[in-house]
Amino acid sequence: MGGPNVMRQQFADTLLQVGREDPRLVVLVGDISHFILQPFAQACPGRYYNVGICEPTILSMAAGLAKTGFSPVVHTIAPFLVERSFEQIKLDFCYQRLGGTLITVGSAFDYSNLGCTHHCYDDFALLKSLPNTQIVYPASAEEFDGLFRQTYRSGKVTLVRLPSQAHGQAFRQEEIRFGSGVKLTDGSNLTLIATGPHLRNALAARETLGDMGWQTEILYLHTIHPIDTELIRASVRKTRQVLVVEEHVWTGGVGSDVLRVTRDIPRVRHAFLHLPETFVREYGTYEEHCERLGLSRNGIVKKVETEFRARTTLAAGSQA
Amino acid sequence: MTMMNNDLRRTIIDVVYRGKDGHIPSAFSIVDIVALLYREYLKVDPHHPQDPSRDYFILSKGHGCVALYVVLAERGFLSQHDLDTFCTSGGILGEHPDCTKVPGVEASTGSLGHGFPFAVGLALGLRILSMTNRIFVLVGDGECHEGTVWEAAHVANNLQLGNLCVIVDWNGSAAQLMPRDDLPAKWRAFGWEARVADGHSEPELRAAFDRIVFQPTGSPTVVIAKTVKGKGVPMLEGHGVWHHRIPTAAERQQMREALA
Repeated sequence: MGGPNVMRQQFADTLLQVGREDPRLVVLVGDISHFILQPFAQACPGRYYNVGICEPTILSMAAGLAKTGFSPVVHTIAPFLVERSFEQIKLDFCYQRLGGTLITVGSAFDYSNLGCTHHCYDDFALLKSLPNTQIVYPASAEEFDGLFRQTYRSGKVTLVRLPSQAHGQAFRQEEIRFGSGVKLTDGSNLTLIATGPHLRNALAARETLGDMGWQTEILYLHTIHPIDTELIRASVRKTRQVLVVEEHVWTGGVGSDVLRVTRDIPRVRHAFLHLPETFVREYGTYEEHCERLGLSRNGIVKKVETEFRARTTLAAGSQA
Repeated sequence: MTMMNNDLRRTIIDVVYRGKDGHIPSAFSIVDIVALLYREYLKVDPHHPQDPSRDYFILSKGHGCVALYVVLAERGFLSQHDLDTFCTSGGILGEHPDCTKVPGVEASTGSLGHGFPFAVGLALGLRILSMTNRIFVLVGDGECHEGTVWEAAHVANNLQLGNLCVIVDWNGSAAQLMPRDDLPAKWRAFGWEARVADGHSEPELRAAFDRIVFQPTGSPTVVIAKTVKGKGVPMLEGHGVWHHRIPTAAERQQMREALA
Protein backbone atom coordinates (compact mmCIF):
# COMPACT_ATOMS: atom_id res chain seq x y z
CA MET A 1 0.00 0.00 0.00
CA GLY A 2 1.42 3.34 -0.98
CA GLY A 3 1.82 6.26 1.35
CA PRO A 4 1.70 9.95 0.59
CA ASN A 5 5.31 10.20 -0.56
CA VAL A 6 5.44 7.12 -2.70
CA MET A 7 4.13 8.80 -5.82
CA ARG A 8 6.51 11.74 -5.66
CA GLN A 9 9.47 9.44 -5.04
CA GLN A 10 8.55 7.27 -8.01
CA PHE A 11 8.28 10.39 -10.14
CA ALA A 12 11.86 11.28 -9.21
CA ASP A 13 13.11 7.73 -9.64
CA THR A 14 11.50 7.27 -13.04
CA LEU A 15 12.83 10.57 -14.36
CA LEU A 16 16.28 9.58 -13.17
CA GLN A 17 16.15 6.20 -14.86
CA VAL A 18 14.71 7.50 -18.11
CA GLY A 19 17.01 10.50 -18.09
CA ARG A 20 20.03 8.24 -17.87
CA GLU A 21 18.83 6.29 -20.89
CA ASP A 22 17.50 9.14 -23.00
CA PRO A 23 19.64 12.26 -23.54
CA ARG A 24 16.60 14.06 -24.96
CA LEU A 25 14.77 14.16 -21.64
CA VAL A 26 14.95 17.60 -20.05
CA VAL A 27 13.18 18.66 -16.86
CA LEU A 28 11.96 22.13 -15.91
CA VAL A 29 10.42 22.77 -12.51
CA GLY A 30 8.79 25.78 -10.92
CA ASP A 31 10.65 25.71 -7.62
CA ILE A 32 9.10 22.50 -6.43
CA SER A 33 10.49 18.98 -5.97
CA HIS A 34 13.91 20.57 -6.28
CA PHE A 35 15.62 18.40 -3.71
CA ILE A 36 14.03 15.13 -4.67
CA LEU A 37 15.16 15.73 -8.27
CA GLN A 38 18.80 16.30 -7.38
CA PRO A 39 19.77 12.76 -8.40
CA PHE A 40 18.41 13.55 -11.87
CA ALA A 41 20.23 16.87 -11.91
CA GLN A 42 23.49 15.15 -10.97
CA ALA A 43 23.10 12.27 -13.39
CA CYS A 44 21.87 14.41 -16.30
CA PRO A 45 23.94 17.59 -16.24
CA GLY A 46 22.52 20.44 -18.27
CA ARG A 47 19.08 18.85 -18.45
CA TYR A 48 17.54 19.99 -15.19
CA TYR A 49 16.38 23.56 -14.56
CA ASN A 50 14.63 24.98 -11.54
CA VAL A 51 13.43 28.00 -13.48
CA GLY A 52 11.59 29.66 -10.62
CA ILE A 53 8.16 31.12 -10.07
CA CYS A 54 7.24 32.00 -13.64
CA GLU A 55 5.05 29.18 -14.84
CA PRO A 56 3.84 30.59 -18.18
CA THR A 57 7.41 31.26 -19.21
CA ILE A 58 8.45 27.77 -18.16
CA LEU A 59 5.76 26.33 -20.43
CA SER A 60 6.85 28.48 -23.37
CA MET A 61 10.48 27.55 -22.77
CA ALA A 62 9.57 23.88 -22.67
CA ALA A 63 7.86 24.24 -26.04
CA GLY A 64 11.01 25.88 -27.39
CA LEU A 65 13.00 22.93 -26.10
CA ALA A 66 10.58 20.58 -27.85
CA LYS A 67 11.20 22.54 -31.05
CA THR A 68 14.87 21.55 -30.82
CA GLY A 69 14.00 17.88 -30.44
CA PHE A 70 13.91 17.48 -26.67
CA SER A 71 11.20 15.70 -24.70
CA PRO A 72 10.49 18.32 -22.06
CA VAL A 73 8.93 17.62 -18.68
CA VAL A 74 7.40 20.56 -16.84
CA HIS A 75 6.58 20.02 -13.21
CA THR A 76 4.85 22.23 -10.71
CA ILE A 77 1.61 22.68 -8.78
CA ALA A 78 -1.50 21.94 -10.82
CA PRO A 79 -3.32 25.30 -10.86
CA PHE A 80 -0.17 27.19 -11.84
CA LEU A 81 0.72 24.76 -14.56
CA VAL A 82 -2.71 24.07 -16.05
CA GLU A 83 -4.85 27.09 -15.23
CA ARG A 84 -2.39 29.99 -15.13
CA SER A 85 -0.43 28.69 -18.10
CA PHE A 86 -3.34 27.40 -20.15
CA GLU A 87 -2.69 29.74 -23.07
CA GLN A 88 0.95 28.64 -23.20
CA ILE A 89 -0.16 25.00 -23.40
CA LYS A 90 -2.68 25.89 -26.06
CA LEU A 91 -0.51 28.09 -28.26
CA ASP A 92 3.11 27.14 -27.63
CA PHE A 93 2.56 23.39 -27.54
CA CYS A 94 -0.72 22.43 -29.18
CA TYR A 95 -0.97 25.08 -31.89
CA GLN A 96 2.64 24.43 -32.93
CA ARG A 97 2.11 20.64 -32.80
CA LEU A 98 4.81 20.13 -30.20
CA GLY A 99 4.81 17.51 -27.48
CA GLY A 100 5.77 17.51 -23.84
CA THR A 101 4.83 16.13 -20.46
CA LEU A 102 3.18 18.22 -17.76
CA ILE A 103 3.42 16.58 -14.37
CA THR A 104 1.34 18.22 -11.69
CA VAL A 105 1.16 17.82 -7.96
CA GLY A 106 -1.62 19.36 -5.92
CA SER A 107 -4.22 17.25 -7.65
CA ALA A 108 -7.76 18.53 -6.95
CA PHE A 109 -7.64 19.47 -3.23
CA ASP A 110 -4.53 17.53 -2.22
CA TYR A 111 -3.27 20.75 -0.65
CA SER A 112 -6.26 20.50 1.61
CA ASN A 113 -5.43 23.40 3.94
CA LEU A 114 -4.08 25.83 1.36
CA GLY A 115 -7.37 27.08 0.01
CA CYS A 116 -8.59 27.39 -3.54
CA THR A 117 -5.48 29.16 -4.82
CA HIS A 118 -3.79 25.76 -4.64
CA HIS A 119 -6.71 23.62 -5.77
CA CYS A 120 -7.33 22.41 -9.30
CA TYR A 121 -10.39 20.39 -10.20
CA ASP A 122 -10.89 21.44 -13.80
CA ASP A 123 -7.65 20.14 -15.28
CA PHE A 124 -9.25 17.26 -17.20
CA ALA A 125 -11.73 19.63 -18.80
CA LEU A 126 -9.11 22.18 -19.76
CA LEU A 127 -6.67 19.74 -21.31
CA LYS A 128 -9.38 17.77 -23.09
CA SER A 129 -10.55 20.95 -24.77
CA LEU A 130 -7.23 21.21 -26.64
CA PRO A 131 -6.12 19.16 -29.65
CA ASN A 132 -3.13 16.82 -29.44
CA THR A 133 -3.45 16.21 -25.70
CA GLN A 134 -3.79 13.17 -23.48
CA ILE A 135 -4.26 12.73 -19.74
CA VAL A 136 -3.08 10.06 -17.35
CA TYR A 137 -3.89 9.83 -13.65
CA PRO A 138 -1.64 7.23 -12.07
CA ALA A 139 -2.40 6.49 -8.42
CA SER A 140 0.28 3.92 -7.84
CA ALA A 141 4.02 4.10 -8.28
CA GLU A 142 3.99 1.36 -10.92
CA GLU A 143 1.39 3.19 -12.94
CA PHE A 144 3.39 6.39 -12.95
CA ASP A 145 6.49 4.57 -14.12
CA GLY A 146 4.72 2.64 -16.85
CA LEU A 147 2.54 5.45 -18.14
CA PHE A 148 5.34 8.02 -18.18
CA ARG A 149 7.58 5.73 -20.19
CA GLN A 150 4.77 4.99 -22.62
CA THR A 151 3.79 8.60 -23.23
CA TYR A 152 6.65 11.02 -22.84
CA ARG A 153 7.84 10.72 -26.43
CA SER A 154 4.39 10.55 -27.99
CA GLY A 155 4.61 13.96 -29.66
CA LYS A 156 1.51 14.97 -27.75
CA VAL A 157 1.00 17.06 -24.66
CA THR A 158 0.53 14.59 -21.84
CA LEU A 159 -0.89 15.78 -18.56
CA VAL A 160 0.15 13.54 -15.70
CA ARG A 161 -2.00 14.23 -12.68
CA LEU A 162 0.08 12.98 -9.80
CA PRO A 163 -2.04 12.55 -6.65
CA SER A 164 -0.58 12.59 -3.17
CA GLN A 165 -2.44 9.41 -2.27
CA ALA A 166 -1.95 6.00 -3.82
CA HIS A 167 -4.87 3.59 -4.10
CA GLY A 168 -2.86 0.68 -2.74
CA GLN A 169 -3.78 -1.79 -5.45
CA ALA A 170 -1.03 -3.73 -7.20
CA PHE A 171 -1.28 -4.13 -10.97
CA ARG A 172 0.49 -6.48 -13.30
CA GLN A 173 2.72 -4.69 -15.75
CA GLU A 174 0.50 -5.67 -18.68
CA GLU A 175 -2.43 -3.97 -16.99
CA ILE A 176 -0.67 -0.63 -17.20
CA ARG A 177 -1.21 0.15 -20.83
CA PHE A 178 -1.84 3.73 -21.88
CA GLY A 179 -5.39 4.14 -23.12
CA SER A 180 -6.70 0.95 -21.53
CA GLY A 181 -8.73 0.80 -18.37
CA VAL A 182 -8.51 -2.11 -15.99
CA LYS A 183 -11.41 -4.38 -14.95
CA LEU A 184 -10.73 -5.44 -11.38
CA THR A 185 -13.87 -7.38 -10.60
CA ASP A 186 -16.69 -8.94 -12.58
CA GLY A 187 -20.23 -7.94 -11.81
CA SER A 188 -23.68 -8.18 -13.27
CA ASN A 189 -25.86 -5.27 -12.18
CA LEU A 190 -23.57 -2.36 -11.33
CA THR A 191 -20.53 -0.81 -12.99
CA LEU A 192 -18.40 1.27 -10.68
CA ILE A 193 -15.83 3.39 -12.50
CA ALA A 194 -13.10 4.63 -10.22
CA THR A 195 -10.28 7.09 -10.86
CA GLY A 196 -7.22 8.02 -8.85
CA PRO A 197 -7.00 7.11 -5.17
CA HIS A 198 -10.74 6.34 -5.08
CA LEU A 199 -10.12 2.86 -6.40
CA ARG A 200 -9.45 2.07 -2.76
CA ASN A 201 -12.93 3.28 -1.80
CA ALA A 202 -14.52 1.45 -4.69
CA LEU A 203 -12.96 -1.85 -3.64
CA ALA A 204 -13.95 -1.24 -0.03
CA ALA A 205 -17.53 -0.43 -0.99
CA ARG A 206 -17.92 -3.54 -3.11
CA GLU A 207 -18.28 -5.88 -0.19
CA THR A 208 -20.96 -3.78 1.46
CA LEU A 209 -22.73 -3.40 -1.86
CA GLY A 210 -22.56 -7.18 -2.28
CA ASP A 211 -24.41 -7.66 0.98
CA MET A 212 -27.09 -5.39 -0.43
CA GLY A 213 -27.48 -7.39 -3.60
CA TRP A 214 -25.21 -5.49 -5.95
CA GLN A 215 -22.86 -7.52 -8.11
CA THR A 216 -20.36 -4.76 -8.78
CA GLU A 217 -18.02 -4.64 -11.74
CA ILE A 218 -15.17 -2.27 -10.92
CA LEU A 219 -13.37 -0.49 -13.73
CA TYR A 220 -10.32 1.60 -13.01
CA LEU A 221 -9.21 4.31 -15.43
CA HIS A 222 -5.60 5.43 -15.19
CA THR A 223 -5.93 6.97 -18.64
CA ILE A 224 -8.48 9.74 -18.57
CA HIS A 225 -8.08 10.96 -22.13
CA PRO A 226 -8.63 9.21 -24.43
CA ILE A 227 -11.16 7.28 -22.41
CA ASP A 228 -11.40 3.50 -22.82
CA THR A 229 -14.73 3.49 -24.61
CA GLU A 230 -14.72 -0.21 -25.41
CA LEU A 231 -14.20 -1.35 -21.83
CA ILE A 232 -16.86 0.99 -20.48
CA ARG A 233 -19.44 0.12 -23.11
CA ALA A 234 -18.94 -3.62 -22.66
CA SER A 235 -19.51 -3.33 -18.94
CA VAL A 236 -22.44 -0.94 -19.10
CA ARG A 237 -24.19 -3.02 -21.75
CA LYS A 238 -24.17 -5.82 -19.18
CA THR A 239 -24.97 -3.97 -15.96
CA ARG A 240 -27.10 -1.05 -17.23
CA GLN A 241 -26.22 0.88 -14.10
CA VAL A 242 -23.04 2.87 -13.73
CA LEU A 243 -21.54 5.09 -11.05
CA VAL A 244 -18.47 7.21 -11.80
CA VAL A 245 -16.24 8.46 -8.97
CA GLU A 246 -13.78 11.28 -9.61
CA GLU A 247 -12.05 14.25 -8.01
CA HIS A 248 -13.11 16.69 -10.71
CA VAL A 249 -16.05 18.92 -11.43
CA TRP A 250 -18.81 17.51 -13.59
CA THR A 251 -18.01 19.74 -16.56
CA GLY A 252 -15.46 18.00 -18.71
CA GLY A 253 -14.83 15.24 -16.21
CA VAL A 254 -14.81 11.48 -16.54
CA GLY A 255 -18.50 11.25 -15.73
CA SER A 256 -19.48 13.39 -18.67
CA ASP A 257 -17.27 11.28 -20.93
CA VAL A 258 -18.91 8.08 -19.67
CA LEU A 259 -22.31 9.61 -20.37
CA ARG A 260 -21.17 10.53 -23.88
CA VAL A 261 -19.77 7.13 -24.79
CA THR A 262 -22.78 5.21 -23.45
CA ARG A 263 -25.53 7.53 -24.65
CA ASP A 264 -26.81 5.14 -27.29
CA ILE A 265 -27.06 2.10 -25.00
CA PRO A 266 -30.73 1.77 -24.02
CA ARG A 267 -32.04 1.71 -20.45
CA VAL A 268 -28.80 2.76 -18.77
CA ARG A 269 -28.94 4.64 -15.49
CA HIS A 270 -26.02 6.87 -14.59
CA ALA A 271 -24.89 8.29 -11.27
CA PHE A 272 -21.91 10.44 -10.51
CA LEU A 273 -19.77 11.30 -7.53
CA HIS A 274 -17.79 14.38 -8.42
CA LEU A 275 -16.90 17.76 -7.00
CA PRO A 276 -19.50 20.50 -6.85
CA GLU A 277 -19.23 23.36 -9.31
CA THR A 278 -18.02 25.65 -6.57
CA PHE A 279 -14.85 26.28 -4.62
CA VAL A 280 -13.91 23.89 -1.86
CA ARG A 281 -13.55 26.53 0.80
CA GLU A 282 -13.23 24.29 3.85
CA TYR A 283 -9.97 23.30 5.53
CA GLY A 284 -8.95 20.01 7.09
CA THR A 285 -7.26 16.86 5.93
CA TYR A 286 -7.56 15.35 2.48
CA GLU A 287 -9.57 12.53 3.98
CA GLU A 288 -11.95 14.98 5.65
CA HIS A 289 -12.55 16.74 2.35
CA CYS A 290 -13.28 13.39 0.70
CA GLU A 291 -15.66 12.30 3.45
CA ARG A 292 -17.57 15.56 3.36
CA LEU A 293 -17.87 15.46 -0.43
CA GLY A 294 -19.00 11.85 -0.50
CA LEU A 295 -15.81 10.61 -2.11
CA SER A 296 -15.51 7.70 0.29
CA ARG A 297 -16.60 4.11 0.81
CA ASN A 298 -19.73 5.27 2.61
CA GLY A 299 -20.35 7.91 -0.01
CA ILE A 300 -20.27 5.34 -2.78
CA VAL A 301 -22.65 3.00 -0.95
CA LYS A 302 -25.03 5.83 -0.18
CA LYS A 303 -24.96 7.08 -3.75
CA VAL A 304 -25.77 3.63 -5.14
CA GLU A 305 -28.63 3.25 -2.69
CA THR A 306 -30.17 6.64 -3.32
CA GLU A 307 -29.68 6.75 -7.07
CA PHE A 308 -30.32 3.15 -8.02
CA ARG A 309 -32.07 1.26 -5.23
CA ALA A 310 -34.66 3.95 -4.70
CA ARG A 311 -35.47 4.10 -8.34
CA THR A 312 -35.36 0.33 -8.70
CA THR A 313 -37.87 0.06 -5.88
CA LEU A 314 -39.97 2.79 -7.38
CA ALA A 315 -39.91 1.12 -10.75
CA ALA A 316 -40.80 -2.24 -9.25
CA GLY A 317 -43.63 -0.63 -7.32
CA SER A 318 -45.05 1.09 -10.36
CA GLN A 319 -44.97 -2.16 -12.34
CA ALA A 320 -46.87 -3.87 -9.57
CA MET B 1 21.87 57.21 -44.32
CA THR B 2 18.31 56.10 -44.07
CA MET B 3 17.48 52.68 -45.36
CA MET B 4 14.04 52.58 -46.89
CA ASN B 5 12.86 49.36 -48.36
CA ASN B 6 10.29 51.01 -50.56
CA ASP B 7 9.83 47.98 -52.81
CA LEU B 8 9.03 45.81 -49.82
CA ARG B 9 6.71 48.46 -48.44
CA ARG B 10 4.80 48.66 -51.71
CA THR B 11 4.46 44.90 -51.69
CA ILE B 12 3.15 45.03 -48.12
CA ILE B 13 0.49 47.52 -49.19
CA ASP B 14 -0.50 45.34 -52.14
CA VAL B 15 -0.68 42.18 -50.02
CA VAL B 16 -2.85 43.83 -47.40
CA TYR B 17 -5.03 45.53 -49.99
CA ARG B 18 -5.69 42.28 -51.84
CA GLY B 19 -6.17 40.24 -48.67
CA LYS B 20 -8.39 42.92 -47.12
CA ASP B 21 -6.68 42.40 -43.78
CA GLY B 22 -3.41 43.22 -42.10
CA HIS B 23 -1.47 45.71 -40.01
CA ILE B 24 0.42 47.94 -42.44
CA PRO B 25 1.96 50.40 -39.94
CA SER B 26 3.26 47.60 -37.71
CA ALA B 27 4.83 45.93 -40.74
CA PHE B 28 6.43 49.20 -41.89
CA SER B 29 7.84 49.65 -38.41
CA ILE B 30 9.89 46.46 -38.60
CA VAL B 31 10.44 45.74 -42.29
CA ASP B 32 13.87 47.37 -42.44
CA ILE B 33 15.07 45.29 -39.50
CA VAL B 34 13.68 42.04 -40.83
CA ALA B 35 15.03 42.66 -44.31
CA LEU B 36 18.53 43.38 -43.04
CA LEU B 37 18.55 40.29 -40.84
CA TYR B 38 17.50 37.99 -43.68
CA ARG B 39 19.82 39.58 -46.23
CA GLU B 40 22.97 39.78 -44.16
CA TYR B 41 22.81 37.98 -40.84
CA LEU B 42 20.59 34.95 -40.75
CA LYS B 43 22.04 31.71 -41.99
CA VAL B 44 18.94 30.22 -43.57
CA ASP B 45 18.32 28.23 -46.73
CA PRO B 46 14.94 28.37 -48.47
CA HIS B 47 15.65 24.99 -50.04
CA HIS B 48 16.26 23.47 -46.61
CA PRO B 49 14.11 25.48 -44.20
CA GLN B 50 14.53 22.85 -41.48
CA ASP B 51 18.32 22.67 -41.77
CA PRO B 52 19.47 21.86 -38.21
CA SER B 53 22.33 24.35 -38.47
CA ARG B 54 20.10 27.28 -39.42
CA ASP B 55 19.74 30.49 -37.47
CA TYR B 56 16.31 31.23 -36.07
CA PHE B 57 14.20 34.33 -36.39
CA ILE B 58 11.04 34.51 -34.32
CA LEU B 59 8.56 37.31 -34.82
CA SER B 60 7.08 37.53 -31.37
CA LYS B 61 4.90 40.48 -32.40
CA GLY B 62 3.06 38.31 -34.87
CA HIS B 63 0.76 41.04 -36.16
CA GLY B 64 3.67 42.56 -38.07
CA CYS B 65 3.90 39.37 -40.12
CA VAL B 66 3.32 40.87 -43.55
CA ALA B 67 6.79 42.36 -43.25
CA LEU B 68 8.12 38.88 -42.58
CA TYR B 69 6.15 37.41 -45.47
CA VAL B 70 7.50 39.84 -48.05
CA VAL B 71 11.05 39.27 -46.84
CA LEU B 72 10.57 35.49 -46.89
CA ALA B 73 9.31 35.87 -50.45
CA GLU B 74 12.37 37.92 -51.34
CA ARG B 75 14.57 35.15 -49.91
CA GLY B 76 12.71 32.46 -51.84
CA PHE B 77 10.79 30.83 -49.01
CA LEU B 78 7.46 32.01 -50.38
CA SER B 79 6.08 32.50 -53.87
CA GLN B 80 4.15 35.37 -55.39
CA HIS B 81 1.14 33.06 -55.34
CA ASP B 82 1.56 32.70 -51.58
CA LEU B 83 1.50 36.48 -51.22
CA ASP B 84 -1.43 36.81 -53.61
CA THR B 85 -3.50 34.39 -51.52
CA PHE B 86 -2.87 36.16 -48.20
CA CYS B 87 -5.91 35.83 -45.95
CA THR B 88 -7.85 33.75 -48.45
CA SER B 89 -9.36 30.32 -48.05
CA GLY B 90 -6.73 27.83 -49.08
CA GLY B 91 -3.85 30.29 -48.70
CA ILE B 92 -1.04 29.59 -46.25
CA LEU B 93 -0.56 33.16 -45.07
CA GLY B 94 -2.80 34.62 -42.41
CA GLU B 95 -2.83 37.75 -40.34
CA HIS B 96 -0.67 35.96 -37.80
CA PRO B 97 2.01 33.50 -38.91
CA ASP B 98 1.46 29.74 -38.61
CA CYS B 99 4.68 27.75 -38.49
CA THR B 100 2.87 24.56 -39.45
CA LYS B 101 2.00 26.12 -42.81
CA VAL B 102 4.63 28.68 -43.72
CA PRO B 103 8.16 27.59 -44.62
CA GLY B 104 10.70 29.74 -42.81
CA VAL B 105 8.37 30.68 -39.97
CA GLU B 106 9.73 29.17 -36.78
CA ALA B 107 6.90 29.87 -34.34
CA SER B 108 3.20 30.56 -34.60
CA THR B 109 2.69 33.89 -32.89
CA GLY B 110 -0.01 36.47 -32.45
CA SER B 111 -0.86 36.43 -28.78
CA LEU B 112 1.83 38.70 -27.42
CA GLY B 113 4.36 37.55 -24.86
CA HIS B 114 4.80 34.02 -26.23
CA GLY B 115 7.48 34.16 -28.92
CA PHE B 116 10.22 35.48 -26.67
CA PRO B 117 9.99 32.86 -23.87
CA PHE B 118 9.60 30.23 -26.59
CA ALA B 119 12.86 31.52 -28.07
CA VAL B 120 14.51 31.27 -24.66
CA GLY B 121 13.69 27.56 -24.63
CA LEU B 122 14.94 27.24 -28.18
CA ALA B 123 18.21 28.94 -27.27
CA LEU B 124 18.60 26.73 -24.23
CA GLY B 125 17.93 23.59 -26.25
CA LEU B 126 20.48 24.50 -28.89
CA ARG B 127 23.04 25.22 -26.20
CA ILE B 128 22.43 21.86 -24.54
CA LEU B 129 23.03 20.28 -27.94
CA SER B 130 26.27 22.28 -28.31
CA MET B 131 24.91 23.84 -31.48
CA THR B 132 26.10 27.26 -32.61
CA ASN B 133 22.86 28.47 -34.19
CA ARG B 134 21.92 32.05 -33.36
CA ILE B 135 18.45 33.04 -32.28
CA PHE B 136 16.93 36.42 -33.06
CA VAL B 137 13.54 37.33 -31.67
CA LEU B 138 11.67 40.52 -32.40
CA VAL B 139 9.23 41.89 -29.81
CA GLY B 140 7.13 45.02 -29.84
CA ASP B 141 7.45 47.76 -27.25
CA GLY B 142 3.76 47.36 -26.54
CA GLU B 143 4.40 43.66 -26.14
CA CYS B 144 6.83 44.60 -23.38
CA HIS B 145 3.77 45.30 -21.25
CA GLU B 146 3.36 41.53 -21.01
CA GLY B 147 4.75 40.02 -17.84
CA THR B 148 6.15 37.01 -19.66
CA VAL B 149 8.55 39.30 -21.54
CA TRP B 150 10.21 40.21 -18.27
CA GLU B 151 10.01 36.69 -16.89
CA ALA B 152 11.83 35.55 -20.01
CA ALA B 153 14.34 38.40 -19.83
CA HIS B 154 15.09 37.45 -16.24
CA VAL B 155 15.47 33.76 -17.05
CA ALA B 156 17.56 34.30 -20.20
CA ASN B 157 20.04 36.45 -18.33
CA ASN B 158 20.28 34.00 -15.46
CA LEU B 159 20.86 31.18 -17.90
CA GLN B 160 23.38 33.42 -19.72
CA LEU B 161 21.98 32.61 -23.12
CA GLY B 162 24.65 34.28 -25.21
CA ASN B 163 23.22 32.76 -28.38
CA LEU B 164 20.10 34.92 -28.10
CA CYS B 165 19.43 38.41 -29.42
CA VAL B 166 16.20 40.26 -28.80
CA ILE B 167 15.21 43.19 -30.95
CA VAL B 168 12.62 45.57 -29.55
CA ASP B 169 10.56 47.49 -32.07
CA TRP B 170 10.46 50.71 -30.05
CA ASN B 171 7.88 52.58 -32.08
CA GLY B 172 6.19 54.34 -29.19
CA SER B 173 3.10 52.18 -28.98
CA ALA B 174 3.76 51.42 -25.33
CA ALA B 175 4.35 55.04 -24.37
CA GLN B 176 0.87 56.01 -25.50
CA LEU B 177 -0.41 54.17 -22.46
CA MET B 178 2.57 54.06 -20.12
CA PRO B 179 4.73 57.10 -20.78
CA ARG B 180 7.45 56.07 -18.31
CA ASP B 181 9.09 54.08 -21.03
CA ASP B 182 12.85 53.90 -20.55
CA LEU B 183 13.30 50.56 -22.27
CA PRO B 184 17.12 50.54 -22.36
CA ALA B 185 17.27 51.06 -18.60
CA LYS B 186 14.74 48.30 -18.02
CA TRP B 187 16.64 45.76 -20.10
CA ARG B 188 19.94 46.73 -18.51
CA ALA B 189 18.34 46.32 -15.10
CA PHE B 190 17.56 42.78 -16.13
CA GLY B 191 21.23 42.26 -16.91
CA TRP B 192 21.07 42.46 -20.68
CA GLU B 193 23.61 44.03 -22.97
CA ALA B 194 21.39 46.76 -24.43
CA ARG B 195 22.10 48.79 -27.55
CA VAL B 196 19.95 51.46 -29.08
CA ALA B 197 19.83 51.94 -32.83
CA ASP B 198 17.70 53.67 -35.43
CA GLY B 199 15.54 50.81 -36.64
CA HIS B 200 15.28 52.32 -40.11
CA SER B 201 19.00 52.93 -40.53
CA GLU B 202 20.99 50.17 -42.10
CA PRO B 203 24.35 51.42 -40.79
CA GLU B 204 23.08 51.82 -37.25
CA LEU B 205 21.44 48.43 -37.22
CA ARG B 206 24.49 46.84 -38.76
CA ALA B 207 26.71 48.47 -36.16
CA ALA B 208 24.50 47.10 -33.40
CA PHE B 209 24.34 43.57 -34.82
CA ASP B 210 28.03 43.44 -35.74
CA ARG B 211 29.04 44.09 -32.15
CA ILE B 212 27.12 41.14 -30.78
CA VAL B 213 29.35 38.32 -29.66
CA PHE B 214 27.24 35.22 -30.02
CA GLN B 215 28.49 32.54 -27.68
CA PRO B 216 26.98 29.57 -25.88
CA THR B 217 27.29 31.23 -22.50
CA GLY B 218 27.27 34.96 -21.96
CA SER B 219 24.97 37.90 -21.52
CA PRO B 220 22.17 37.95 -24.05
CA THR B 221 21.87 41.08 -26.14
CA VAL B 222 18.95 43.34 -26.85
CA VAL B 223 18.92 45.80 -29.72
CA ILE B 224 16.36 48.46 -28.98
CA ALA B 225 15.41 49.76 -32.36
CA LYS B 226 13.88 53.21 -32.44
CA THR B 227 11.29 53.03 -35.14
CA VAL B 228 8.32 54.89 -36.53
CA LYS B 229 5.08 53.06 -36.87
CA GLY B 230 4.03 53.32 -40.51
CA LYS B 231 7.49 54.59 -41.47
CA GLY B 232 7.74 55.77 -45.05
CA VAL B 233 4.20 56.92 -45.77
CA PRO B 234 3.23 60.11 -43.97
CA MET B 235 -0.46 59.25 -43.78
CA LEU B 236 0.40 56.01 -41.98
CA GLU B 237 2.99 57.31 -39.57
CA GLY B 238 2.16 57.50 -35.87
CA HIS B 239 -0.55 55.92 -33.84
CA GLY B 240 -3.73 56.88 -35.57
CA VAL B 241 -6.50 55.00 -37.31
CA TRP B 242 -4.30 52.95 -39.59
CA HIS B 243 -3.23 50.29 -37.10
CA HIS B 244 -5.60 47.71 -38.58
CA ARG B 245 -7.26 49.64 -41.39
CA ILE B 246 -7.33 48.47 -44.99
CA PRO B 247 -6.77 51.09 -47.69
CA THR B 248 -9.27 51.87 -50.40
CA ALA B 249 -8.08 51.77 -54.00
CA ALA B 250 -7.44 55.51 -53.90
CA GLU B 251 -5.59 55.31 -50.59
CA ARG B 252 -3.52 52.44 -51.86
CA GLN B 253 -2.49 54.53 -54.83
CA GLN B 254 -1.69 57.45 -52.56
CA MET B 255 0.51 55.23 -50.40
CA ARG B 256 2.32 53.78 -53.37
CA GLU B 257 3.01 57.24 -54.71
CA ALA B 258 4.45 58.29 -51.37
CA LEU B 259 6.91 55.43 -51.73
CA ALA B 260 7.83 56.17 -55.31
